Amino acid sequence: MKMNFVKRAWLSLSAKWGRSILLVLVTSTILMFVLAGLLISHAASQATAEAKKSVGATLTLSANREAAFKKMQSGSTTSKPKKITMTPVKLSDAKKIARSGNISSMNATATTSVDAKSFDTVSTTSSSTGMMGMRGGSSSSTGDVTVNGVTSTSDVSSFTSKSSKITKGRGIKASDEGTNNVVIESELAKQDNLTVGDTMTVKQTTGNKTTYKLKIVGIYKASSSASSGMGMMGSDPSNAVYTSYTFANTIKGSKYKDTADSVTFKISNPAKTTAVKKAGDKLINTSTYSLTTDDNSYQTVKKSMNTVSGFANKIVWLVAAAGTVILALIVIMMVRERRYEIGVLLSLGESRFKIAAQFFTELVMVLIVSLAIAGIGGQFVGNQLGQQLVTQAQTSQTSETSGPMGQGGGQPGGMRSGGMGGQRSGGFSQKKAAKTKLSTTVTATEMAELGGFGLSIMFVSVAIGSLGIMRLEPKKVLIDD
Amino acid sequence: MTTMLETKDLAYWYENGSRPLFKDVNLTFEAGKSYAIVGQSGTGKTTFLSLLAGLDHPKAGEILYDNETLKKIGLTNYRRRDVSIVFQAYNLFNYMSPVNNLMTAMAITNAEHRGDQEYAKRMLEQIGIPKGDFNRNVTHLSGGQQQRVAIARTMCCDAALVVADEPTGNLDEQNTKAVINQFQSIAHDQGKCVIIVTHEPEVAKQCDVEIQLADREFQTVVR
Ligand SMILES: Nc1ncnc2c1ncn2[C@@H]1O[C@H](COP(=O)(O)OP(=O)(O)OP(=O)(O)O)[C@@H](O)[C@H]1O
Ligand SMILES: [Mg+2]
Repeated sequence: MKMNFVKRAWLSLSAKWGRSILLVLVTSTILMFVLAGLLISHAASQATAEAKKSVGATLTLSANREAAFKKMQSGSTTSKPKKITMTPVKLSDAKKIARSGNISSMNATATTSVDAKSFDTVSTTSSSTGMMGMRGGSSSSTGDVTVNGVTSTSDVSSFTSKSSKITKGRGIKASDEGTNNVVIESELAKQDNLTVGDTMTVKQTTGNKTTYKLKIVGIYKASSSASSGMGMMGSDPSNAVYTSYTFANTIKGSKYKDTADSVTFKISNPAKTTAVKKAGDKLINTSTYSLTTDDNSYQTVKKSMNTVSGFANKIVWLVAAAGTVILALIVIMMVRERRYEIGVLLSLGESRFKIAAQFFTELVMVLIVSLAIAGIGGQFVGNQLGQQLVTQAQTSQTSETSGPMGQGGGQPGGMRSGGMGGQRSGGFSQKKAAKTKLSTTVTATEMAELGGFGLSIMFVSVAIGSLGIMRLEPKKVLIDD
Repeated sequence: MTTMLETKDLAYWYENGSRPLFKDVNLTFEAGKSYAIVGQSGTGKTTFLSLLAGLDHPKAGEILYDNETLKKIGLTNYRRRDVSIVFQAYNLFNYMSPVNNLMTAMAITNAEHRGDQEYAKRMLEQIGIPKGDFNRNVTHLSGGQQQRVAIARTMCCDAALVVADEPTGNLDEQNTKAVINQFQSIAHDQGKCVIIVTHEPEVAKQCDVEIQLADREFQTVVR
């Protein structure tokens, strides 16, 4: 095939540069919006994938206490807390679940309390008076110091959400099992002049009141937001310490060996949460134990990102359609304006197909320049639009989720035990989701996709516009006019 | 001389049912000769020429080129290979230089000298276009110069038949003379068949054969 039409296209564009610049401007604008849509859509799916990793979903194995727990909750505010007998979770069960697949880590928690012996606890001035009364009622089992026994502090939600931070030393690790290592809060450390490497002694609240020597391996700082709503047991949140769950079991008594209040599993792929729970249910006695899932944070991010990417896809197709119409109209007008030239070409025996090919080539040349311009401009538009969309989508999502399941969605039973609530969990998911950022950077993939869109738009426009070329009779334009 | 173009019982009308502009036209055109078609305004000269140029189909009868009907050759093929057209309005590509106009025409018609810029320049030189105008945009040339570029274009193409509709219509006496000489040279030196529609007696007189269209009939003027 002779490619003379390519040369003609170039000559036409360079001679009529005013028209060419106009075409470039129109095309760039259209492409910029297409690119913005593509960027947001890509960023949204990327953010969803990221959310899988960072936000994650959890599965918690605990005693089946749904009914009992409810009863206790409703009773606790009005009258004295009722004692519920709980069946501790067997670690052997937990290990079976951990091996069933899609579980990336496992965190056993056992919570109890002890009395301080070698040090003074932090007392809260504001809430202590009101709470003291309540504390008195259940004094037999409640000490000044909350012992949060865990497998690893890094898997505790207050640490993953960064509301608690290790400031000195290290957190509790799986290797701390069987040790008396402890991580204490900075306020407590400050007040008692304790630091990493020091030891402190505590005393059992019940039984033979054995004392234990604890070795401080780390100090953590709890942010004020994390400590709010924590006064359930009337003790300042700074009096909560972290140890290995095995130490908490030791305090509780020998029958608690190889058990935990609950075990939380991190699900490696949050999209599989339901399947993982189903598989887990088969491994346990569901009348004694229950598995609860928490993928709210993942779902929240996923929903808001779906909204964003759905909107972005609509933008892409809408702009592409509008752009096609606009460019098709321009081509139609161009064909009319240039029908004399087309007539000359036809009189020279040029085929109509090659005339259409010349128009297409001209637009492709325009497209190449426009792609470069849109690549720069689309980045800007994408950033602006992306941030706005995320803010809007998440605002609406948060209000949706906080309705029926809002707070309860935190981490059911994650750190709770008996009558004591050392919950350093919950409420972190929404905060995390709201911080999701769209990274709208132009990559080769986007540019290739944009080029594809551009080519399609140009092709359809020329196909529509060249109907005029196909119908044009050279005699009419060359002689009759 | 060999017959190049032949019309057989040719007839044409615009509106169905109206009287034909001409009918039963039987004419022959030979290579190496120039023909002038004259007649009053509105008689149908341009219409007739457009049929010879393959821009339209006749309503009745047929046109044969080298003993083959245009229908069989195909109008696009015929226009590309066999016929070269010059119109009153020059019909140049307004976004190109004279050289590129010639180059483009040669490329489309697949002429022997396609791609040969020197040849194009020689043709332009031959019809008196100043060297300085070769690569300027063609719209910057005068009317007479543009018409000469259009004629140079037919010289570049290999088509053996050249048809022109009032090619001197916009030209002054001096330019007219130059253009007519050029057409004569195309016919006599290149051995092509040149058919010119004109209403200028001076131009008609210069051509080898003069055909008058009157009362719906073509008559060769005996001189
Ligand atoms: N597209 C058309 N539709 C209908 N009638 C037409 C059309 N083109 C031309 N005519 C008519 O056909 C007749 C012949 O027109 P044509 O242009 O062939 O005449 P002409 O001999 O070339 O005239 P002139 O010397 O003025 O150029 C005229 O009466 C004209 O009005
Ligand atoms: Mg005419």
